[in-house]
Amino acid sequence: MIILRIFAISLVLAVIIGLIGSAMKLSRSRLAQSIANVYTVVFRGTPELLVLLIVYFGAAVTLTAIAQSFDPSIKFIDVPPFWAGAFAIALIVGAYMTETFRGAFLGVEPGLVEAARALGLSNFQTFVYVRIPQMWRLALPNFGNHMLSLMKDTALISVIGVEEILFVAEMATTVTLKPFTMYIVVALIYLCITSVITLVVMALEKYANKHLATSR
Amino acid sequence: MTFDFGLVFSSIPKMLEGLGLTIELLLLSSFIGLVLAVITLLMRISGRWFLVAPAVVYIYIFRGTPILVQIFVIYHGLPQFEFIREGIFWPFLREPFWCCVLALSLNAGAYVSEILRGGVLGVDKGLLEAASALGISKPHRFIYITSPIAIRLSLPAYSNDIISMTKATALASTVTLLDMTGVARTLVAETFAPYEIFISVAIIYMVIAWLVQKGFGLAEQRMSRHLKPTAG
Repeated sequence: MIILRIFAISLVLAVIIGLIGSAMKLSRSRLAQSIANVYTVVFRGTPELLVLLIVYFGAAVTLTAIAQSFDPSIKFIDVPPFWAGAFAIALIVGAYMTETFRGAFLGVEPGLVEAARALGLSNFQTFVYVRIPQMWRLALPNFGNHMLSLMKDTALISVIGVEEILFVAEMATTVTLKPFTMYIVVALIYLCITSVITLVVMALEKYANKHLATSR
Repeated sequence: MTFDFGLVFSSIPKMLEGLGLTIELLLLSSFIGLVLAVITLLMRISGRWFLVAPAVVYIYIFRGTPILVQIFVIYHGLPQFEFIREGIFWPFLREPFWCCVLALSLNAGAYVSEILRGGVLGVDKGLLEAASALGISKPHRFIYITSPIAIRLSLPAYSNDIISMTKATALASTVTLLDMTGVARTLVAETFAPYEIFISVAIIYMVIAWLVQKGFGLAEQRMSRHLKPTAG
């Protein structure tokens, strides 16, 4: 169940990061644009495993240094690998979400936004009530793919010692001496989860495009 | 806490050794993956169920599971069977390097065949109708008309896939291989300076990704030069 918890936490974080990132990319501020650009380039060009290691070990070193400046007797602070993993995965997938959401926001018909303005909606209200519901439909197919890669990225957190299924399978192997059986079970579990995600995204797409289907 | 540049410079030679292995993994598995992808694509579009079904199952399995799990199944899992340990492929399957190449190639084959299929489906029907009206046979239509256009259409997605392959080679470090990430992990274990080492390695990966993107961008430009309006 740990991978499902990581999946849920990282998904929520990644969507938030994606929305903020795409809003920054589409903003008029040069500074916000370049911060968002650097963010997406860095996190899309670095291996997922490396990001995970940087976040996990980096957070430990940074927190230790901060704690030592207050209390020199502290030797080492351990970062919970679960949260480091969830955060690292959210950062990676957030970079992809940023790009997807940016494209989807650009696909929203400008007339709708103008109409919202004319009705006296504030910038923030337009964003929440007009832009997001509209872009959601356009972002869905890519969003589904990102959910799948997020799910598959959760396998990496066994590397930093979170006791999720791959880690448990490793433990079980040392007892049963049947590595193939153990790892194939892990693969099947992932296959089931990714299939469910695919079906859910298909259903969501059908729901989102309901108003288009009836006209045919 | 300071960023120790001396440590970065002193560990660059070791990292470059790792870079060699990373590039070897990348080139070998993307080549084998491409061959697998073309075979899978041909099976997939053949229209015969006994060829289509295995291709679909292969793509479904390898796209639905994490690469790390695939590497573990191949490297740790396969030696469970007697016939593998006694078979002719054992000298290869014993080595973590070839296990990684196998896992990455199988994975790339599944993804790239879907990309190529997108390209094939994107070819204008009219062109194929025109070709068949001219009496060009089906194999010739595929080689001379579908393929060049499909390759051009699938180039952008293919370059993205090569970049994700580059990133996937980092997983080789989990099965004791000393690729760039593997070297970085040993260095961090020795020095406990995660920022210096990991960030320098990350920059090398980003440079590779950038080079791949630029290279494919140029190739794409060259392949679609007929689409540009002629100057003057």
